[in-house]
Amino acid sequence: MSVRRASYLVAAAALAGLAALAFGLGRYPISVPELFTLLGAKLTGSEHALSSTAETVILQVRGPRVLAAMVVGAALAAAGTAYQGMFRNPLVSPDILGVSTGAALGAVLAIFLSLGILMTQAFAFAGGLLAVGLVYAVGSRLRGHDPLLALVLTGVVIGTLLGSAIALLKYLADPYNELPAITFWLLGSLAAITPRDLASATPAALAGLLPLLLLRWRVNLLALPDDEARALGVDTRRLRVVVVACATLMTAAAVAVSGIIGWVGLLIPHAARLLVGPDFGRLLPLAMLMGAAFMLAVDTLGRTAASIEIPPGVLTALIGTPFFLWLFAVARRTW
Amino acid sequence: MLAVESLGFGFPGRAVGREVTFGLADGEVMCVLGPNGGGKTTLFRTLLGLLEPQEGEVRLEGRPLGAYARQAIARRIGYVPQGHAGQFAYTVREVVLMGRTAHLGAFAAPGRADREVAERALALLGLETLAERPITQVSGGERQLALVARALAQEPRLLVMDEPTASLDFGNQVRILRRIRALSEHGISVLFSTHDPDHAFLAADRALLLAEGRMIALGTPKDVIRPDTLARMYGVEVEVVPLAGGGHTCLPAMTG
Amino acid sequence: MKRGLVLPLLLLLMVPVKAALSGEAVADATGREIRPAAKVERVYAAGPPASTVIFAIAPEKLVGWTRALRPHEAEFFPEKYAALPELGRLTGRGNTANVEVVLRARPDLIVDVGSTRASLAELAVQVERQTGIPYALFDGRLEATPATFRALGRLMGDVPRAEALAAWFEGELADIRARVERVPQEKRPRVYYGRGPAGLQTGGRGSINVEVLELLGAVNVAAEVRAGLVAVPIEQILLWNPEVILTTDPHFWRRAWTDPAWRATAAVENKRVYLSPHRPFGWFDFPPGANRLLGAWWAGKILYPDAFDIDLRRKVLEFHTRFYHQAPTPAQLDALLGEPGVLGK
Repeated sequence: MSVRRASYLVAAAALAGLAALAFGLGRYPISVPELFTLLGAKLTGSEHALSSTAETVILQVRGPRVLAAMVVGAALAAAGTAYQGMFRNPLVSPDILGVSTGAALGAVLAIFLSLGILMTQAFAFAGGLLAVGLVYAVGSRLRGHDPLLALVLTGVVIGTLLGSAIALLKYLADPYNELPAITFWLLGSLAAITPRDLASATPAALAGLLPLLLLRWRVNLLALPDDEARALGVDTRRLRVVVVACATLMTAAAVAVSGIIGWVGLLIPHAARLLVGPDFGRLLPLAMLMGAAFMLAVDTLGRTAASIEIPPGVLTALIGTPFFLWLFAVARRTW
Repeated sequence: MLAVESLGFGFPGRAVGREVTFGLADGEVMCVLGPNGGGKTTLFRTLLGLLEPQEGEVRLEGRPLGAYARQAIARRIGYVPQGHAGQFAYTVREVVLMGRTAHLGAFAAPGRADREVAERALALLGLETLAERPITQVSGGERQLALVARALAQEPRLLVMDEPTASLDFGNQVRILRRIRALSEHGISVLFSTHDPDHAFLAADRALLLAEGRMIALGTPKDVIRPDTLARMYGVEVEVVPLAGGGHTCLPAMTG
Repeated sequence: MKRGLVLPLLLLLMVPVKAALSGEAVADATGREIRPAAKVERVYAAGPPASTVIFAIAPEKLVGWTRALRPHEAEFFPEKYAALPELGRLTGRGNTANVEVVLRARPDLIVDVGSTRASLAELAVQVERQTGIPYALFDGRLEATPATFRALGRLMGDVPRAEALAAWFEGELADIRARVERVPQEKRPRVYYGRGPAGLQTGGRGSINVEVLELLGAVNVAAEVRAGLVAVPIEQILLWNPEVILTTDPHFWRRAWTDPAWRATAAVENKRVYLSPHRPFGWFDFPPGANRLLGAWWAGKILYPDAFDIDLRRKVLEFHTRFYHQAPTPAQLDALLGEPGVLGK
């Protein structure tokens, strides 16, 4: 079997395995037979002998969290894949146009104003979209430059601006109350996931995914210089807008419920590309599978390794950095 | 096929060329000669609709170029730029397949028919053995051939080639020129630029001499490629030597 | 008069004069000798816990609040003090005060109450050197408050008032301890203190955030965790299964009743989830100062209703009168104690 086909199968199997494992692991002890009993009972609608707490843990706590980890991982990986193709640079992360910084600013503002979780998520989502909207509106007006370079530079500048706004809010926040909450949010976490969060994040992520899937062939052409792509019949400006909008939607949806989790959007598409090559139609599904599996592994580790939560952002960086360096050293020069 | 009327071309705020007028018939091969910075690439980009004309008009199959949608232009004109490696390791076959985009709907991916067209283009350029190789791992010449195959996969009626022989070895240069003649015999018009006047003699029906954005001459290679025009364009002394069998070649003076 | 007596008499006379020229030297909690200028009339509080203590002893000497009082906080203070200017905070994360602002306020003494870690002691020395104003650092723990009062009283030249407060505070602490002792171990519920809008942050053993719980000898479910503020997975909380949940965040308090995960805890099942009042200063956690005495009474009443059969209204009245120099009206008391979650759902 070719490396390509094997990659899909392995990734899918790994994801399924991890999901099963994640359901069974947690601080609250539930044995595997108990797990099956519970799930079986739920599926058939019959009674079961487990405590209601166990049922709550499986269905209300672990279930949503496992699913959310997969959605977040897949969304970030997909967004990273799209951006890396669009910017013709395999070292690009979904945050290049500032969606994470914008979302962070929204969330920090909401925490600063003590608005509660729901509003924090809404602000984060809106913040991410607005930030990218601003970057795109300004960047695409800069004539006389390579359009991608203009976008990147605008993203850097506005990202820095938003970052200083965040720093200001942290400075003004009550150090005993709001500041710790802000710090925890910025570290990223899936700890407080509820079924409702999942219900709001997933459609948004899907809404961003669908156009990318439909356009998967055309997105490949963004890897060519602008002139060539246009000469081949592609309206590059419009395609870029769609790609940016979709990737932003997916990233904002993920960041709104999970906070900022780095490395997934940068590393996973890269690794996937090394396995199946750059064709977007092949790359996207694999990147999503791998992203979901990676995020699931990281989150499960973070919530079971100790009695306190280990922030996923810390783990992704700890695992991601050496892995990335290894990829860099071992892989061929080409991407 | 293509009619260019008093075309002024350039960038916003900067004119590069003026008063370019010529026509290109079906199946005709025209070679554009000129020094570096003379405006050849800018002219080509304007003819492809990638740049707005500043003055004058370009008409494609009788209609103004601006009236066509991007994809409609792509179905008629194929562009072969100067090849470069690019960042991503698409295979040669995938690169050629990209040429089919002009014929695909917005959400479509290439189907069986498209793959067959791509295969034929690969075969035409002798690239079958390289088809699975990443484009980043082939030689410059093979890359150029792949880009020609990609343009052919577009099934265009006009092929615009920007210095297709640059950085190719002698053998590949000859192959490209032969390919150009073969296309012309199939009824495909070709517009190509080159730095070597001999290429015009070998492959072109007509030559257009472009220096500092102005047309110096337009006509058959025999008529317009002369020592005085060459001296004017390149600033060197060249002798145009007729050959037995009807061709010509240029022989620069090495001293003086 | 004998000539031999003149010199000693003169020297004796110098002592009160000298004492009048420079205040008494008092050691602060880091052991540094603080020597304020003659009469201390103006005191700058470097953080909110210091504000409460200084205001309690001598409200007229406080030069300003670290953060301007909001209207719903200001109503508990006499107007002239409620309107004191905002001068920013010198310590605690997120310093907002400018040394120049401090200088412009012309205090005779700078006081901070809270942690006595080395870094804060260094800050004190540094600011004192910069401004030439004596900077005293005191321990903010509840147990140390009477000593803090006494030392401040001597520093500020307000011994009677400070002594009264210290004695009263000691009495309150003793009363609390005595009541706690009467509660047998098995009657002490397992408590979880949830912070943040999701309630997933808590204080481990020894953390200043749960000092009240430790004073009350309560069983902090998170005690197995190292000290400090930590995030815990909800599953861990379910495993601990607290019987009582205390919080300072109204969003979390509301959410605990509806979130299926929290509803699985014994605390929510038995409707024992409580929201700490926070006006004008938080009762339970922040700021981590003497204001938490009220939190101790409040939590004690919640956790050990039999042993703490106190009149909470009277305690609030007394505390406010002594500390904030204004007795709350019955309506204000109703508002404080009647907020949802304070004494029950």
